[in-house]
Amino acid sequence: MIRCLVITHGNIGMELVRVTGLILGPVEGLAAMTNSGKSLPDLKAEIAAWLEEGAAAGSPGGLIMVDDYGGSCATAAQLACGHEGGRAIISGVNLAMLLGFLTWRDNDEFDELVSRIVRKGREAITLVGGR
Amino acid sequence: MPVVLARVDDRLIHGQVTVGWSERLRPDHIILASNEIAADPWQSRVYASSVPPSIEVSVLSLARAAAMLRGGEVQAARTIVLTATPAEMFDLAHLGAPLPSVNIGGMHFGAGKVEMLPFVFIDRIDLEAMRRLLAAGLELFAQQVPGGREHAVGLEQLAAMEPRL
Repeated sequence: MIRCLVITHGNIGMELVRVTGLILGPVEGLAAMTNSGKSLPDLKAEIAAWLEEGAAAGSPGGLIMVDDYGGSCATAAQLACGHEGGRAIISGVNLAMLLGFLTWRDNDEFDELVSRIVRKGREAITLVGGR
Repeated sequence: MPVVLARVDDRLIHGQVTVGWSERLRPDHIILASNEIAADPWQSRVYASSVPPSIEVSVLSLARAAAMLRGGEVQAARTIVLTATPAEMFDLAHLGAPLPSVNIGGMHFGAGKVEMLPFVFIDRIDLEAMRRLLAAGLELFAQQVPGGREHAVGLEQLAAMEPRL
């Protein structure tokens, strides 16, 4: 099973994961983490622990989604993931991306899954109306 | 225009710097000064990639950063200087980097650190480094973001922390 960790400022990630559960029901392998109050080394260590937990459970690697490109969440995720394969970090997390992840993760190869989630996230940002 | 902000922040390059302070101060250049990060080209690239393309970025050892800051090239650019700790900022000052004052921007909780402000946790090493910065004639102010509350950090505030460390 491909796992996903959502890392954000404040409680954004926790709420995204909670709401995802309200839509699809309880899901495994989807977790949230905040950067609030954490130094970069501590945040990196927490992410590394999440990756190690997956490796110990037979799911090495994984997908990390962060809220903002260039923020401490993205930097810590890059430092924790290092050069290992089977890991990807996507910024700009939104609800559509999480729903796409849970819908496709059992059937897609990892690289294809990552590409589809990036496309899905962009498609979800659109002018709905009211102009 | 020389250094427009010298900031101690253990997250180094992140949104408060690249968006918050950069929107306010419009720097041409950000210098991240760290011996550990500068020695690792990959880590240097990770940090540098977080800076918008309109701002030049350099990841340098403390000695190289101080040398660059002393030179005329950087004197002409609006520059933000970042270190992760007050001790590293003191090293920069000691090596002759011309700093206007020192912004304590973010020192998060860690083992052995005690809260001075909600965004400033310090240990004895930090306290001594801040004292040395003050002794070098630099003013210290704690402030996370532009428009946020500015807290003076002087000998009195540091003395009040000492029994708790």
